[in-house]
Amino acid sequence: MGLSFFSKNLPIQEGQPWALTTPADIISTVEFNHTGELLATGDKGGRVVIFQREPESKNAPHSQGEYDVYSTFQSHEPEFDYLKSLEIEEKINKIKWLPQQNAAHSLLSTNDKTIKLWKITERDKRPEGYNLKDEEGKLKDLSTVTSLQVPVLKPMDLMVEVSPRRIFANGHTYHINSISVNSDCETYMSADDLRINLWHLAITDRSFNIVDIKPANMEDLTEVITASEFHPHHCNLFVYSSSKGSLRLCDMRAAALCDKHSKLFEEPEDPSNRSFFSEIISSVSDVKFSHSGRYMLTRDYLTVKVWDLNMEARPIETYQVHDYLRSKLCSLYENDCIFDKFECAWNGSDSVIMTGAYNNFFRMFDRNTKRDVTLEASRESSKPRAVLKPRRVCVGGKRRRDDISVDSLDFTKKILHTAWHPAENIIAIAATNNLYIFQDKVNSDMH
Amino acid sequence: MEFKLEAHRIVSISLGKIYNSRVQRGGIKLHKNLLVSLVLRSARQVYLSDPCPGLYLAGPAGTPAPPPQQQPGEPAAGPPAGWGEPPPPAARASWPETEPQPERSSVSDAPRVGDEVPVATVTGVGDVFQGGEADATEAAWSRVEGPRQAAAREAEGTAGGWGVFPEVSRAARRPCGCPLGGEDPPGTPAATPCAACCCAPRPAEDESPAPPAVCPRKRCAAGVGGGPAGCPAPGSTPLKKPRRNLEHPPSGGEDDDAEEMETGNVANLISIFGSSFSGLLRKSPGGGREEEEGEESGPEAAEPGQICCDKPVLRDMNPWSTAIVAF
Repeated sequence: MGLSFFSKNLPIQEGQPWALTTPADIISTVEFNHTGELLATGDKGGRVVIFQREPESKNAPHSQGEYDVYSTFQSHEPEFDYLKSLEIEEKINKIKWLPQQNAAHSLLSTNDKTIKLWKITERDKRPEGYNLKDEEGKLKDLSTVTSLQVPVLKPMDLMVEVSPRRIFANGHTYHINSISVNSDCETYMSADDLRINLWHLAITDRSFNIVDIKPANMEDLTEVITASEFHPHHCNLFVYSSSKGSLRLCDMRAAALCDKHSKLFEEPEDPSNRSFFSEIISSVSDVKFSHSGRYMLTRDYLTVKVWDLNMEARPIETYQVHDYLRSKLCSLYENDCIFDKFECAWNGSDSVIMTGAYNNFFRMFDRNTKRDVTLEASRESSKPRAVLKPRRVCVGGKRRRDDISVDSLDFTKKILHTAWHPAENIIAIAATNNLYIFQDKVNSDMH
Repeated sequence: MEFKLEAHRIVSISLGKIYNSRVQRGGIKLHKNLLVSLVLRSARQVYLSDPCPGLYLAGPAGTPAPPPQQQPGEPAAGPPAGWGEPPPPAARASWPETEPQPERSSVSDAPRVGDEVPVATVTGVGDVFQGGEADATEAAWSRVEGPRQAAAREAEGTAGGWGVFPEVSRAARRPCGCPLGGEDPPGTPAATPCAACCCAPRPAEDESPAPPAVCPRKRCAAGVGGGPAGCPAPGSTPLKKPRRNLEHPPSGGEDDDAEEMETGNVANLISIFGSSFSGLLRKSPGGGREEEEGEESGPEAAEPGQICCDKPVLRDMNPWSTAIVAF
């Protein structure tokens, strides 16, 4: 595949006061912005941490392009719905960046119920030399003012200010699982288990319901919405995945309520693989359009699949992420691991796809060469400029020296959230409460 | 046979999950509960369809929802017949919900429960509730109180579920276990303690005995957590409360301004499942015991204070199905 990743910088958690694994520190989402300059992470405690890539400088060639903390803020707080006696978790489910339209950056962050639009601005200059105020801002005694001066902007230490610009609340009865910004840069959608709403970024008191799969009688409920995304180029198209493993492509031009799909992507189940847990493992946990807009990537419990928008009958490619777990589904059901929702990602050129697994392993599949690799995100592997060594899980049979056996996998160490830089071979891997950033050592540009 | 064991185990694990989801932070997760209920249904189907020599499966195997055909007043006509011979007295004794028609057991509860409260999910399960008497709902709901106290014990339960549910069932095995109208043959292990129960022979529509009945039951099961302290006050009011809490206004599932998540239906769903499993209670002491001995010996052995019921009988009770209903 030609990619060998090494760690650009130490795991972000080092030296931080929150190095201990408190539940609130568990990273729940990772997202690069459109240029890759900024990387946002959300955690279970409702915080958002934004990293910025340092500009490469000739003076310190070794530290070129490292990501450092840019801003930290509390996005969501725990809430209590008194009417329904429900606690609303502050965990950030998803973050999506808005395309940058001016000097400020904007992102949407959401928990189970409320979406917020945050504006991130920089302040690196401040006016000095006021006539009526002194340096500390206190009003001057007018009698001491003898001449007029024009205030000038003087440089100051960079200050990053974050403010909530919009709060989109009360749009969802069920738990929000995804948000997606439309390519028109004016609207976005939010999806919960049964409904998808379309919002305008400037309007918070109204949203349009565009998909509603709630049955008239909840007894008849057979599937829920698990993820959704707008098409990257066609502002009228979006896709949503279901717990039954199907994808529905909808066209907003066809009707106001997009309950009828334009296309239904579904693969018939393989009867030889039927088990008690067939339905669970076929539930799609993530769906992502390719950058080209031609393909979709889906992740279910054991596989990642590439779908061609022009072919509804079956995926064009299927990659086994960890098929050795197929015989262990019952145990994974018992310990709830079978419900883990792994995400998936495309690289910038849509030639490589990536997804996480257990034991802090993550997998990459090269669509062209059909080669795949398993890498590990761990402290040992992330010493600066240490090259990641491919790992292997052995399932019995011949065992090589560094192989890990299936039974010694640590299922508490799961990589659910991964992100790939939009243009370069830089990846961000969230392993519980640690964030790892790796870069391709061969060359920084995608191939 | 192994399939049945595994199915059995999976069902108990699933129920545990559904129950625990109600106390999880952030509210009930619809997606996860839907998936769990699908597993539950698959396991149930396997359990019902897997032919097993030692079990009463004379009827149509694999029928996902035998109970619906059963109407109250049809003793052993429907699914119970499907399950074969009339169950051993002990099992029968535990379940007669309303009339002294032990064979019917809680299978008939399913329809009634379903009547009152729609279930949140699972195709096929929906068939379970057809017709039936309204009072059964009350009866079914009253059982909710019992196992509530057992919930604390659930925390100690093992992952296999066997450790949990036997205790729960004992607590929940209400008075319903009590011989209504003296139907139970003497010597019924389960019935013995019932003699001491304060539950009066209750007519079908009487819901009030349930709570008081629970208490003596639990007192019987000394050493099992909960005990009398958890007994709800006698009377119908406590019964209504759980029912109201769990039952959302889903009749038709209309949206109103304060739309509920309707996850309360998950609890109803479990009752339905429970009733569907009632047939499992019908196993002969011999057959059922053989099958479950391996599974249950551990947890059973761990239960102290089992003075009110015979061990083999307990196994046959299929404890976790009681627990299901209890939810």
